[in-house]
Amino acid sequence: MSVSSSRKITQILGAELEKLVTLPLIWRTLIGTFILNLVLAAAFTSAGLQGAAGTQNILNIGLASMGYLQAGFIILGVSATCSEYTGGQIRTTLTAIPWRGIQLSAKHLALAAITIPAAFIIAASGVLYTFIRLRDTAVGFEIDIMIKTLVGATGYLTLTTLLSAAIGALLRRTTPALVILLGYYYIVSPLTRDFLPKYLPDTAGSYMYMPPSSDEINVLTPMQGTGISMLWTLIFITAAIVFYRKRDA
Amino acid sequence: MRAFNAELSKLFSLPGIWLAFLIGAFAPAVIAALVITQQKAEIIATGLSEAGYDGLGFGVQGVIILGVLAVSSEYLTESSESGGGRQITTSLTVVSSRLHFLLAKAGAVTVISILLCIIAMMTTASATQLILGEYAPVFFEWSRLIGVVCYWTFNALLAFGMTVLMKNGIIPLAVLIINSSVVSFSVLLSKVTKLAFYLPDRAGLEMFMFFNDRSHGIFDKFYTPFTGGLVMFAWVVVLFIAAAIVFHRRDVAS
Repeated sequence: MSVSSSRKITQILGAELEKLVTLPLIWRTLIGTFILNLVLAAAFTSAGLQGAAGTQNILNIGLASMGYLQAGFIILGVSATCSEYTGGQIRTTLTAIPWRGIQLSAKHLALAAITIPAAFIIAASGVLYTFIRLRDTAVGFEIDIMIKTLVGATGYLTLTTLLSAAIGALLRRTTPALVILLGYYYIVSPLTRDFLPKYLPDTAGSYMYMPPSSDEINVLTPMQGTGISMLWTLIFITAAIVFYRKRDA
Repeated sequence: MRAFNAELSKLFSLPGIWLAFLIGAFAPAVIAALVITQQKAEIIATGLSEAGYDGLGFGVQGVIILGVLAVSSEYLTESSESGGGRQITTSLTVVSSRLHFLLAKAGAVTVISILLCIIAMMTTASATQLILGEYAPVFFEWSRLIGVVCYWTFNALLAFGMTVLMKNGIIPLAVLIINSSVVSFSVLLSKVTKLAFYLPDRAGLEMFMFFNDRSHGIFDKFYTPFTGGLVMFAWVVVLFIAAAIVFHRRDVAS
């Protein structure tokens, strides 16, 4: 059967999207992350209310949970690619779609299509909650800065998800991939922040949503941060595709 | 005893376990080295006795992975080509008492975590010695070292119990790794409510960390080392009983 190549790509994308949508773990992770984020936002808000009144910045408090939030998205990315390898689904996949490079790229695209709205809703809900609670005490804020920050946060979470998916595809096992990513994001990176340059994926990415502070010397602009973390994600996706094409399934 | 030996051999033949051993044995030393080089001048000036112990606090990940893997590997579905089976059905055919099976597995996890912890303490102590030389604080205080061993073992058992309840390693792994990191949930919550001091890892840390010499004040001393240990142990026992009851009543196939 001959199919035109654009039709082929649409079909592959559709198949990958359908596989992701029907993966129960994805929905559980997203719902869990959403609830957890609201709980954390509540915790940070009440911690903020106890602090000096009138000086809080809604965005700072609303996005303080980002550090925890990214764990949910790391799980999302890792389970999207590693789920192929439990129970031999990968062989069915490759029988149906023998073009490996296209298949893995389509998977990343499908994952991004799911992650972007989810990340936006989750990040926005935290900020909204903080806004409702802190409306009276907080200093004034501008709506365009808020939108810019939320877009940055969404982008950061999406890139993190894609990076985790690529690492999951490289390692093919859920536990080691998860341990390495969580270990890096939560242990290694915070401990080494003082000596390493600011070009690693999570530090560079954090400038995508951090409000600019004046007391650091070599801070990156949001655009630079986006560029650097996109570069990291692309490098890992490319590595994943190269290995995937060469390797025994 | 046979079931215990079988569990040990199953654990040692897991492919992911080498990651756990590697992290458990060497990560504390590496982290301690990093922290010490950052604060070298300060440590030499004040003779801070915390050096090395925070490495051991973070390095607990190794045994968390151990506890999670010990259970989650049993529930891994094999490929459809080999019948889509699970190891757990085989294990329960051989050791038909579910309580015995669970106890044997927990015993194997405990023994390995204690061993791993002893290795970690040796590597961390030598790393501290190597970097600080004559300024190194006295590392071998027995009460604190016993606290570290308890902290590691209890954490491994917490991971074990949580994974039995969930049948899947992802959630326990994420929760426990984040909780043992710099941005722990429990520390955050303890700023909101005093109740958070009763959370297992927050209480357990008091077994070997002396928080009162921290300048930034987010860590307040709440327990004596002994009561901290008791609180954490109570959590482990409760979780283990819950896991045993659920596991006893559960259909294995589902």
